[in-house]
Amino acid sequence: MTYVVTDACVDELDRSCAEECPVDCIYEGARMMYINPDECVDCGKCMPVCPNDAIYSEHTVPEDKSSFLEMAVAVFEDSGAEGGAEDFGPVRDHPVIAALPSGGSGKADGDS
Amino acid sequence: MTIAPDVDDRNPADLATAPGAGSTELTVLGACPQDCPDTCAMTVTVSDGVATAVNGSKSMPYTNGGLCVKVDNYLDKVYHPDRLLYPMKRSGPKGSGQFERISWDEAITTIADRFRSIVADHGADAIMPCNYLGTQGIIQGLNVGDAFFNKLGATVAERTYCDAGSCTAYAMTVGDTAGVDPESFVHSRFILIWASNVMSTNLHLWPYIREAKKRGAKVVVIDPVKTRTAKAASQYIPIRPGTDGALALAMMNVIIGEGLTDDDYIAQHTVGFDELAERVAQYTPEWASTETGIPAEVIVTLAREYATSQPSVIRIGVAIERSAGGGQTVRAISCLPSLVGAWRRPGGGLLQLPLWAFPVNWPAFLQTELQTPGTRVINLFRLGEALTGQMEMTPPLMGLMVYNSNPVVVCPDQDRLIDGLSREDLFTVVSDHFLTDTARYADIVLPATTQLEQEDINFSWGHLFVTYNNRSIEPRGEAIPNTELFRRLAAAMGFTEPVFSRTDEEMIAAAYDWEAPAMQGITVESLKEKGWQRLSLPSPDEYAPHAEGNFRTPSGKTEFYSSAAAGGNFVLPLFRQGSNDHQPGQPVDPLPHYIPPRETAAADPDLAHRYPLNLLSPKSHAYLNSSFGNLEFHQKVQREPSLIMNPADAASRGIVAGDRVRVFNDRGMFEVVAKLDDSVSPGVTVCHMGYWRRDSLSLSTPASLNPTVFADLGNAPTFSDTLVEVEGVVSQMEAGA
Repeated sequence: MTYVVTDACVDELDRSCAEECPVDCIYEGARMMYINPDECVDCGKCMPVCPNDAIYSEHTVPEDKSSFLEMAVAVFEDSGAEGGAEDFGPVRDHPVIAALPSGGSGKADGDS
Repeated sequence: MTIAPDVDDRNPADLATAPGAGSTELTVLGACPQDCPDTCAMTVTVSDGVATAVNGSKSMPYTNGGLCVKVDNYLDKVYHPDRLLYPMKRSGPKGSGQFERISWDEAITTIADRFRSIVADHGADAIMPCNYLGTQGIIQGLNVGDAFFNKLGATVAERTYCDAGSCTAYAMTVGDTAGVDPESFVHSRFILIWASNVMSTNLHLWPYIREAKKRGAKVVVIDPVKTRTAKAASQYIPIRPGTDGALALAMMNVIIGEGLTDDDYIAQHTVGFDELAERVAQYTPEWASTETGIPAEVIVTLAREYATSQPSVIRIGVAIERSAGGGQTVRAISCLPSLVGAWRRPGGGLLQLPLWAFPVNWPAFLQTELQTPGTRVINLFRLGEALTGQMEMTPPLMGLMVYNSNPVVVCPDQDRLIDGLSREDLFTVVSDHFLTDTARYADIVLPATTQLEQEDINFSWGHLFVTYNNRSIEPRGEAIPNTELFRRLAAAMGFTEPVFSRTDEEMIAAAYDWEAPAMQGITVESLKEKGWQRLSLPSPDEYAPHAEGNFRTPSGKTEFYSSAAAGGNFVLPLFRQGSNDHQPGQPVDPLPHYIPPRETAAADPDLAHRYPLNLLSPKSHAYLNSSFGNLEFHQKVQREPSLIMNPADAASRGIVAGDRVRVFNDRGMFEVVAKLDDSVSPGVTVCHMGYWRRDSLSLSTPASLNPTVFADLGNAPTFSDTLVEVEGVVSQMEAGA
């Protein structure tokens, strides 16, 4: 299982989640944060600290945001990112996220 | 990262009244009851008498605002539709799960009548308790029934599931000391995590390890399985199961051989160095390499880095003891810190079981003086044998009372245990939250309260904080706390000693030696109000309990040459209702030495020919032993039970990922789905324990394959000494097609 960051994080990047995470599995992209599904320990600490309510558990994520789970998997798939965000540094945004128009109106709808 | 948060939890004195028409929302300070080293302080939100949230305390430094995947959804357990809410009696064949509701009066009267008739017909020792740490608070946990069964004269249950052998070895070497404060790990320069999947089973320690790593410490994980913790370490060293002792002895060989010892510390604070040096001269890295599968140069480098990166610390997990030589493995590891002077500074030494720092008033709960001297002792690993006439014993067991435990899943020898529990002439009582695999075989089932519905006070075996659990909601249905269960039973049995009418409040008042230095400034009242308090010890930045020796051994020193060995093998009385009778007693070599695993090609070629694969059954990520194994959310997280195999072992058996496989040996079999990856070396397989027999493909779990044989010290289990074979299962549908 894993927790997943969704559209409400785009261009917000508050990072409270990364500070809270006991295992340092929340990596920063240029546009949003990504939880590494292979490293998440399912503790749920990140969810309540997100000021944008962007984080869900894999099993409670609304259907219209479920594509963020697949995007998170894709972001880490060939990135070599493991062993903690602090050591690894930033990850490359998913192409769908990277292509979003910047600014307040450009939230991903999850289906794009 | 926040190591010391500054947000205060609300305490009961500030119980807030929420705005709105008559609805009240309270925050109650609780404490996690699970058998886990982290012993979290919790906050429970209660609205109109209903618990609506359970969270980790934000003020308690070690809990640090978060619980874990196991306990985050504790309300699923509390309010689950399957909760046992009323006493029941069996209305169908044993194991059928057919029960009908009865009153508490009928339940207690039935139990007392049956116990009296068993005592009259067979003797009191034909009855035996079966319990452990399903809940681990001081008043509701391990010792809650000890006074009752000691007074009754029942067979003493020896309960050595977890660290009993490790404790014997540790105490023989350094005494019953707290060891390193986990909060001091931030000061460690070299952290050796040995046989522990910290991220799944000791999660709240990880931030301290991470902080140390950030400050430049090297983190090394030794484990037969490349766990998520191993992946996050600086270095992962895979090891052949059960050979950890060879590695520890070879590390000493290198450290002494290369003069990496702290000679001043050795001279002042240890005994037996010369004998130890002579003993370990034979354990060369090359020899250890053939035993462990670790290249000799890796062993040499590990020993050098461990010795020269001070302060260095070792965190050992419970699994370290689960092979034939588990005790001597812990003996050898316990010698290492003193050899290199690691104890000199905060963050240096060994973290085994800091439980010993807590001045718990065990005698108040053991009530050993009520015990009949010489009463027989049976280890719970042998329950299946004891119930089925495989052990020479008179009288046979005719009555069994199970609480705080689900032996069908956690005891070895599952098939025989089921046979025993199926005996028509055995009277079995089970108290639990759910109709567990064990409860299905009961004659009388009793509903127990969860942590939210009961009061308790905790020790910890993973940190140095006392925690207090204020009851937050009324008991559901007719559930009662364990303490109340034994008050009712004692009254029905006519036990009149004052100890049997103690209230929970009186028990909590007796839980600690409040005058002990470690309890300075800590009272029941202050704990109720704050929820947690750190023992009165130097701060984690200063705490170095053995900088000047002061070991809790007969000599006051680290005993490389153990004086306690002269007394023979023993189990700490805490794990056997306070009894010191019928100790195992076999001779123990006073110097650390190597005992190879019992089920291997070298030790038993014929067995290994038939069963060439080693089965490990470690703790799972989402369940705590078998607790939570029946809850839907936890099952989703843990996923279906699986056998992790190396792809080479699978290929040679024609098994592909997702196949249903049968895992078997002479003791039993279980069936799960194959999962292939290289987190295990060829020859090693893994099936996480904790899932329920009821939910399995084959009505069996890894416990059906585990041996009942003890390790060398403290009657520890040898679950990791389990050889098996694996074969693909052709489903009946395919076979018929």
